[in-house]
Amino acid sequence: MSPLQTGVLATYWGSPKGVTTYSKLIHDLWSLNYYIALPIAAIVLGGILWCVVRYRARPGDDRKARQFQYHIPIEATYTIIPLILVAVIFGYMYGIENKETHVSKHPGLVIKVQAFQWGWRFTYPNGHQELGSVATEPNINDESALPVLYMPTHETVQIDLSSVDVIHTFYVPEFLYNRDAIPGVKNQVDFNVTTAGQWIGECNQLCGTYHAFMRFEVDAMPKAAFDAWYHAQKPNSLTIAGASKS
Amino acid sequence: MTLIQERPGGPGEPGATGLVAEPLTEIVPGPRPRGVVKFVTSTDHKQIGLNYLVTSFIGFLAAGIMAEVMRTQLIGPNNHLVGPASYNQLVTMHGTVMLFVFGGPFAFGLANYILPLQIGAPDMAFPRFNNLSYWLYLGGFLVMMAGFLTNDGAADFGWFGYAPLTEAIHSPGPGADMWILGIALTGFSGIFTAVNVITTTFTLRAPGMVMFRMPIFVWNELVTLFLVLLAFPVLTAAMALLWCDRHLGTSFYDPAGGGQPILWQNLFWFFGHPEVYILALPYFGVVTEVFATMSKKPVFGYKGMIAATLTIGGLSMGVWAHHMYTTGAVLLPFFAAMTVLIAVPTGIKFFNWIGTMWQGVLTLNTAMLFSLGFLVIFLCGGITGVMLAQPPLDFQLHMTYFVVAHFHYVLVGTTAFGAFASIYYWFPKYTGRLLDEKLGKISFALMFIGTNLTYFPMHDLGLRGMPRRVFTYPVNAGWTFLNELATIGAYILGIGVLFTVINIFHSMRRGQIAGDNPWDGQTLEWATSSPPPEHNFEILPPIRSERPLWDANHPDQLTEVGH
Repeated sequence: MSPLQTGVLATYWGSPKGVTTYSKLIHDLWSLNYYIALPIAAIVLGGILWCVVRYRARPGDDRKARQFQYHIPIEATYTIIPLILVAVIFGYMYGIENKETHVSKHPGLVIKVQAFQWGWRFTYPNGHQELGSVATEPNINDESALPVLYMPTHETVQIDLSSVDVIHTFYVPEFLYNRDAIPGVKNQVDFNVTTAGQWIGECNQLCGTYHAFMRFEVDAMPKAAFDAWYHAQKPNSLTIAGASKS
Repeated sequence: MTLIQERPGGPGEPGATGLVAEPLTEIVPGPRPRGVVKFVTSTDHKQIGLNYLVTSFIGFLAAGIMAEVMRTQLIGPNNHLVGPASYNQLVTMHGTVMLFVFGGPFAFGLANYILPLQIGAPDMAFPRFNNLSYWLYLGGFLVMMAGFLTNDGAADFGWFGYAPLTEAIHSPGPGADMWILGIALTGFSGIFTAVNVITTTFTLRAPGMVMFRMPIFVWNELVTLFLVLLAFPVLTAAMALLWCDRHLGTSFYDPAGGGQPILWQNLFWFFGHPEVYILALPYFGVVTEVFATMSKKPVFGYKGMIAATLTIGGLSMGVWAHHMYTTGAVLLPFFAAMTVLIAVPTGIKFFNWIGTMWQGVLTLNTAMLFSLGFLVIFLCGGITGVMLAQPPLDFQLHMTYFVVAHFHYVLVGTTAFGAFASIYYWFPKYTGRLLDEKLGKISFALMFIGTNLTYFPMHDLGLRGMPRRVFTYPVNAGWTFLNELATIGAYILGIGVLFTVINIFHSMRRGQIAGDNPWDGQTLEWATSSPPPEHNFEILPPIRSERPLWDANHPDQLTEVGH
């Protein structure tokens, strides 16, 4: 299984399509950035190239350069236009940022995500836990022993992040989102996944020796399928990833 | 020997013609110290400057070797060249050495050597204090590197050392303590250098050298060292608190004892973001000098350039929390606004650099090529910087390889290419000999190609979700090809650096004799002999603009007045 790879093949400005309601917002922001950045980059690169080609000293060149130093209108132009552009970017970005950091008062489901050195514990409202940690002999290519974060699609799922030891980061590339799990700090973030599928999630903060192995799997399924799975889990039960295998 | 034909003020004034800067023929009792004794005891700003430059370049090479090992480890998935523990040490020490031993101190070396010359001063304001700074710095470098010799290895929690991973319970080894001590020592060194350079700039300028006639390089160093003065004490204090946490049972950063990990991040980045500009601004100054000299023109928008530098310096003190967007503990809009605003003065600089070259007569030698490479690479790093400044995009890309790409485009672009430009530009002043142009151009071409090949694929890796600081990655992630490209690029970059190292050793003894003013320079460091005598100048050209030597040598090509 290579969920991440197949997911990333479909890209928008190079980034994953995304599978949450945030994706559209982020894509629009990427577009705005590229529409502004590419012309500016072209102008600056063009200016540099023009100078190098047009004004380079050739053998036997006895030109004398004009010794000008100031040109207030031009200088004002390249001060004011960038000011306007960053104001546009900031204004547009501000609305998106507020939507992304908004935390719902009535989420459809709250999952407690606890990070530790080196693994994850996902706790559901009925007390059921999905747990997985670095095996004694970790193999980076083995995805069968990763803990699975089951979640329903088309529902606001609140991730309640905490850490028991050092700082970790909850990161699912397809969610286009990072959030830190910091000991002593309660971090909440809402996701509404719109596409069913399986993706790899990662710890994205250097957290000690086995940081690279601190991965998990996200399994988003339609509401009915999720409910079926959820009701099959006994309250306060514990599933340890990879345990059935050995 | 520099011959200054005529003074622009016209004839009749005393000393109007035939100004000759001869090396000082001071009568000195006894032989002058040479070799190691000179290295250890000299308080001459030029000797200390060279000490800094050479030591920091050694740091650059050491950290570069660490990077090559890391890139080799990442050339394929599930590689086992180095294990996770060693990889974490390499990650940490590569960053720490590049930032604390190379980037800043190389600029301090330039400030030591070049700045007093450019303002026409005989030495730094506090020569012995200056010597102390160097020895603290060298001590810091050696102490932090010595961590590799301990049983548990060097520090392994990243150059940013996020608590509580740095607490004794999670990182018990002595390598971590040596890291703290090493950084604290380089921190003190930086503070002392800042005091020295700022005092020198304010009090030892030659008659006529008012603030608005100082070269842009001096301005940039001045602003940089003010940032050092504001940022480094915070870092050193944060390190002291961490030491207390580890050894005296306090809990400043440990939530188990009521401490707050976010406090460390605030303190560290309050230092850490100005630090990025401490690493960039001096090199902005270097390339400004190179562009003006090699284009045979004054710096375009001189005062706008200074205003831009001051603005960058000011804004850089208010952006630290953009490293902390994903903690959920900072006021996002404020820090986002401050951060995107920095694009404006940086853009002004870009346009001013282009304006400086506009209609000039461009000599495309190695120093100029490195400066042009600086522009192109830093442009890319600047654009991705604006992207990462926006919290929604940072939420997506924080701590992925996209950030690695951005960061290295900024710091390789500015610090490395700027430092190499400075080597090619000022080597004749240090040694009296020119560096070999052919080797230099090969070095530039390899470094430019290598840099782009290494770091450009990292943007895509980040977008594909590859986290930073992982020592390996799975086969099926789709990251293999891009990592291969990056590693090959890193080798090419490394070979490019070697060409300059060979060039330096070759040209030190066999290089073409440079003369005092090989580039038709504009500023005062070219008005004395190469290398300059002790106390630098016997006589100075009159200082009536920011390029007194040009005015003296080209009285028919004075800066046009008016707009």
